[in-house]
Amino acid sequence: MSHVFLLGSSVALFLLGALTSFALARNPRLCGWIAVVFVTVAAVPLCGVVGETFRTGGQPEVILLHLSSLGASWAIAVDPLSAFFLVIAVVVGVLSTVFSVDYMIRLEKDSVAKFYPVLLVFFSSIVGVLVTSDFLFFLVFWELMTLTSFLLVTFERESSTSQRAGRKYFIVTHAATLCMVAGALIVWQISGSFHFAAMRDALGTLLDTQPVSGHLVIFLFVLGFATKAGVLPMGDWLPDAHPVAPSGMSALLSGVLVKLGIYGLLRVFCSFVPVSASLQAWGVVVALAGVGSLFIGTLAALMQTDSKRLMAFHTIGQIGYVCLGLGVGLYCLADNPALAALGLMGALFHVANHACFKACLFLGAGSVLYRTGERDMNKLGGLGTSMPLTAASSTIASMSIAGVPPFNGFASKWLILATCLLVGMSAPLFLALAIVGLFISLVTLASFLKVLGAVFLGQADENSDVREVPWTMALPQVVLAALCILLGVFPQVFLWFAHAALAGVSQVGLPPIDLLLGGSWGLTLAVSGIQVGFWAPSAIVVALFLSGSLAYGIQRAAGARVRHVPVWTGGEEHAAGTVRYPASSFYLPFKEAFRGIYPTVRLRVPAFPASLRKALDLDRWLYMPLARTVEQAARGLGRTHLGIPQVYLLWIVVGAMVVMGILLLTV
Amino acid sequence: MLTTALVLILILPAMGALLAAALPGRPARWVATSSAAAATALALWCVIAVYPGVHRSSLGSLPWLGEQAGRGILGVLLDPLSSVLLLVVAVIGLLTVVYSLPYVSETNRGHSAGPRDQSRYYFWLLFFVASMLGVATAPNFLQLFICWELTTLCSWALISYYRGETSLRAGFKALVMTHVGGVFFLLVLLILFVETRSFEFDAIAGLAPPRKGLVFFFLMVAAWAKAAQVPFHTWLPDAMEAPTPVSAYLHAAAMVKAGVYLMARSVSSGWAMPQGLAILLGAMAVVTMYLALSYYFRQDDLKRLLAYSTIAHLGYVLLGVALGAVGSTTGFRGGVLHIVCHGFGKATLFLCAGAIVYVTGSRSISALGGLARSMPLTATAFFVGILAVTGVPPFACFWSKFMLLAGALELPGPIGPGLLALLLGETLIAFGWLLYIAQKVFLGAPSPAARVPSDPPLAMRATLVVLILGCVVAPAIGIPLVEPLGR
Amino acid sequence: MSNGALSVLGLCAVNVLLALLLAPLYEGILRKLRAVIHSRQGPPLTQSYLDLLKLLGKEDLRTSPGALYAFAPALTLASVLVLATLVPMGTAPPLGFAGDIIVIVYVAAVSAVLAILTAFASQSPYAFVGGSREMMLLLAVEPVVVVTLIVGAVNAGTLATGDIVTWHTANGPTISMVVASVALFLALQAQAGKLPFDIPEADQEIMGGPLVELSGARLALLRWALWAKQLVFAFLLVEIFVPWPSTGTYYIDLTLALAKVLLVLILVAVVDAVNPRLRVEQAMRYYARVAFVSLSALAFAVIGM
Repeated sequence: MSHVFLLGSSVALFLLGALTSFALARNPRLCGWIAVVFVTVAAVPLCGVVGETFRTGGQPEVILLHLSSLGASWAIAVDPLSAFFLVIAVVVGVLSTVFSVDYMIRLEKDSVAKFYPVLLVFFSSIVGVLVTSDFLFFLVFWELMTLTSFLLVTFERESSTSQRAGRKYFIVTHAATLCMVAGALIVWQISGSFHFAAMRDALGTLLDTQPVSGHLVIFLFVLGFATKAGVLPMGDWLPDAHPVAPSGMSALLSGVLVKLGIYGLLRVFCSFVPVSASLQAWGVVVALAGVGSLFIGTLAALMQTDSKRLMAFHTIGQIGYVCLGLGVGLYCLADNPALAALGLMGALFHVANHACFKACLFLGAGSVLYRTGERDMNKLGGLGTSMPLTAASSTIASMSIAGVPPFNGFASKWLILATCLLVGMSAPLFLALAIVGLFISLVTLASFLKVLGAVFLGQADENSDVREVPWTMALPQVVLAALCILLGVFPQVFLWFAHAALAGVSQVGLPPIDLLLGGSWGLTLAVSGIQVGFWAPSAIVVALFLSGSLAYGIQRAAGARVRHVPVWTGGEEHAAGTVRYPASSFYLPFKEAFRGIYPTVRLRVPAFPASLRKALDLDRWLYMPLARTVEQAARGLGRTHLGIPQVYLLWIVVGAMVVMGILLLTV
Repeated sequence: MLTTALVLILILPAMGALLAAALPGRPARWVATSSAAAATALALWCVIAVYPGVHRSSLGSLPWLGEQAGRGILGVLLDPLSSVLLLVVAVIGLLTVVYSLPYVSETNRGHSAGPRDQSRYYFWLLFFVASMLGVATAPNFLQLFICWELTTLCSWALISYYRGETSLRAGFKALVMTHVGGVFFLLVLLILFVETRSFEFDAIAGLAPPRKGLVFFFLMVAAWAKAAQVPFHTWLPDAMEAPTPVSAYLHAAAMVKAGVYLMARSVSSGWAMPQGLAILLGAMAVVTMYLALSYYFRQDDLKRLLAYSTIAHLGYVLLGVALGAVGSTTGFRGGVLHIVCHGFGKATLFLCAGAIVYVTGSRSISALGGLARSMPLTATAFFVGILAVTGVPPFACFWSKFMLLAGALELPGPIGPGLLALLLGETLIAFGWLLYIAQKVFLGAPSPAARVPSDPPLAMRATLVVLILGCVVAPAIGIPLVEPLGR
Repeated sequence: MSNGALSVLGLCAVNVLLALLLAPLYEGILRKLRAVIHSRQGPPLTQSYLDLLKLLGKEDLRTSPGALYAFAPALTLASVLVLATLVPMGTAPPLGFAGDIIVIVYVAAVSAVLAILTAFASQSPYAFVGGSREMMLLLAVEPVVVVTLIVGAVNAGTLATGDIVTWHTANGPTISMVVASVALFLALQAQAGKLPFDIPEADQEIMGGPLVELSGARLALLRWALWAKQLVFAFLLVEIFVPWPSTGTYYIDLTLALAKVLLVLILVAVVDAVNPRLRVEQAMRYYARVAFVSLSALAFAVIGM
């Protein structure tokens, strides 16, 4: 079956599912299950396309529609890079939808008629974004995606914070899209077409002939995609939008939507910008932007006490790591394809990893919200015993995001940071960036220890009736947590896909993966044949297991008795949950050192000067006076009409005399 | 056959108008609906039958005007450009009439209307539709002028429909200001006749340079007045005193479009517009956009806000025409496409505003809030309208604005990128503000004024649904129509 | 099983056993030394072993039913033992093929994380305060460790721990490595949890912090992990930054390394014995300065000195 048919059928299924779920929205649970069924079924043909793409290395392009007046045509092409992101979208999409079935029932104030149908359209627009190879139609799907995600973020209609956050999100990302429109049009001036290939050639020409406009175009594209990806300062929409969205949607925002910004950046840099010194400069820019947002984003996250807002800030931080990998890869692309490949693979791998653990974390925060109605971590505590599955998944995901070996976050961070260090040996800037990255990784750890400590550990409230969430909500978390472990222990499998995805788009030939990451135990970085970096998760896991057994053996050797006792609080009696260490108290001196790292700017509508307003009011000084003048003149003329026959006769006589006089004088 | 159909398009609404005036009450409504529906169906058929060619036939002559000018002075013309206007006028006209069925009735909470009022309303509305259709199918300047002035007359009657102090004043203001524009149009006719003994559109290209500049300038003034451009923009917000369907039709889809149509027509007939004037036209369009934008932030009246948005968007169309005049075909197409796209988008918005007035009796933005709970369909339509008008893909105006922007970049030098920045800036600010307004009115906690039972009646709902669809498919219809345009 | 794999396994076992069995001995020496400085008699050298044995048999009092609380101390010790296999002891690290310096940094962090999680899992507010302080201290110290190791990596042009040692043995001391070794030594004080940086435990303020609700075998394991960790870090310091004299013979090198480790730990103990405890923000400020020292070492390394 052709890939267009498969893609078409999956999009058709999404849209059919949207209609069906809209029709059945009166029953939220049924509606949710219908969405789940349609998403799952639609995922099947997508998986087919993905498999076929990785097998053949890319699908031929098919043109569906042609707009001759603009030189645009809707072309469909699936290459491994698209397929890579499709996989992420499918996995997170299906799991978030399953999670939402029960979750959405809690939000009974709003009808699910504006959740599931929009969600399904959102999915189809993502498919559209990923498979379109014409920039005009790409933008159409892109903005459709923004629109639907806006609707999903602002699902809670009557909450003004959610409306405000959604508005900020939509306006900021729409501005970014308009930047891309501008960039695309400037390129179109030369290419006359919006096709990716034509735009690449035109951009190459532009960079040669008019470097200023060429770089402007790249800047506009970067701005556009980086905003969506959540790179600071444009990513400021992210910490507002994530907390207010329904948790399934938060997971999708962080797991998929934000990643598409990275997809865009990869497209722009790997297939638009020619490999040259300017690409190297842009690599540095991207890496700096990434490190900036990972530094500020993560430190800002440390200050948060709202669990979802904290995670949103961490999304900014983790995207910073991705950008760092991307930047270092681009920096090397011209001179050292091996290191470039490693950096880019690290970035792509981190994209996938972040999708897993951040989706899991958002679903975990959503589960806590579902059971307790609380996002403020100061008011939570001790949920680990009552919600064991959620707690376990969130712990695994937290360890992953913090880069604790052997979870997946470590593998990708290791790859990115190791590449940075290796590049840094000749370009010291990257050393500094890597050190910041390593430091921030610890801050991430601190931040998630706070989450775990404040939410799941510590003392529970007395007589709290919190239970584990229903299985539909627990299952997606468990699956994602399992993926975190799998990807962490067997990174080489997934990196093969990342390599294939990059090899498909890169303009320079990348070295084969065996040369880059040899070794049967795990990953071995090899640069020009010398092995310089090692990470073998399976060996470490085996060692950890053996030494863990040894240590536990020691613990149990004496067979000491276990007795449960209450917590000792200086001898005083306290009710459970009253002597908690609140989330806001963690790391106070450290947070004090970085207070003000994330300043808030309040925008106001600029006041229009009153004098200018008056000057522009044409009615006031032009038309109304004019009308009054005309009216007064008419009134003046009207005064001559007295209605007395004698006066009119006098006028006639006077008039006749004047005429006579003129005639007499002239003749 | 085509000629008959085209003539029938004009005659049917006119007959409907007369019948509606003669038959007060329920029959008037049926007559109005059926005649508008028949005219629309015919218009659609004609557009499809003629596309992509040109159909022109003359029906009568005025011998006393002389051999050359008098022959074929009356007739019909249908080419792609007039098809665009014909479609917008006919389809949105029909929707307006259908929408009016419940709106102009006793059940309206804002303004109830008795049977006599209704028949007066339908008379003027259908008469207006007929004259607008006349504008679209006019084969020469003379006939265009006649229909043009008829629209001015009808708009005066419709704006003053409620006969209140402010309504009468607003109607008079609109009449005077657009009529001043009409005077300039008349001057154009005189110069044209004196110089070339002809009223044909093409004759304008044959004028000698100094006269030609004058003629184009006068045409521009006429268009500015009719399309409420700076410096004649002040009548349109006041004209919001009209019943909302009328506002939707006159001030979004039809009458103001006559102005831009005139400009598009005279520019595209021979592409003879002097460059300097074209630049002036474009510059004034940009000024208008930003001036209109500056009024957004202080508006509390939903309809006046929409009126300012209309003014800005007519600026887009005129900018497209100006781009065409300085040599950018894509820009011209984008401008003309914007007529269709904006027509649907803005009609949606106005009819939503109408639905709000109908249900709540209020159109004050600050008094409204949280309407989406009780009026989900209206809320949906309003959001679609906002997105369509501000050009969020994949909705209507994205395509026309995009073509316009592409057209701007066809120009050499820094003008193109400059325009690009200006237009995108306007787009973003307008988008942000309208989104804010939409959220304010429809989302959030319901305000006291918004505690209303439900969406408006079926006919109004159906209209809104059709318009929502229109906001999506308008470009698909419009792009093929504008493709034959250009040199 | 091939010869190579056998030797890897053997070396792993040696490293693990060294860390496990010698750590209490070293701690015993340090305790004795501290007592001598304080003009006390002090416990016998074997006291640490006896403590551990005694604790292992004691009743295990638990304030929380959670699995994390039950298993984390064992995992903490396990992660330190894994760290031992990644660190060179007398020869190249046995699991060098499985982890480079970045892995060392992260695995070292894991052991701290597990200790903190144990603390949080105990539900005691004192433990929370202690865990929070431990994390802050980690945030202050770890950058120093990172930068000093990177200094080695930049000098040697590789991230592999063994290759850095080889390079340093062959090339002799450089300015950057000397400065870095000073910085790493200063970091060792906090890594070992000694005064003036025993802020997380701070017995007089928060009653042992993370350890307050630990007892019996789990307390023994956590103590053991801490002692093993100071030993492993001392090995890291002496092997990377003071690899000479190197004979190439494993037994002699190992013995030399053990002696050097003893020397380093004695220095640590002396500092411990003569200093009062700092507050956590003072410690952070102190390590921020040390971090600048290490960055200067990096700057030297970058310019090839």
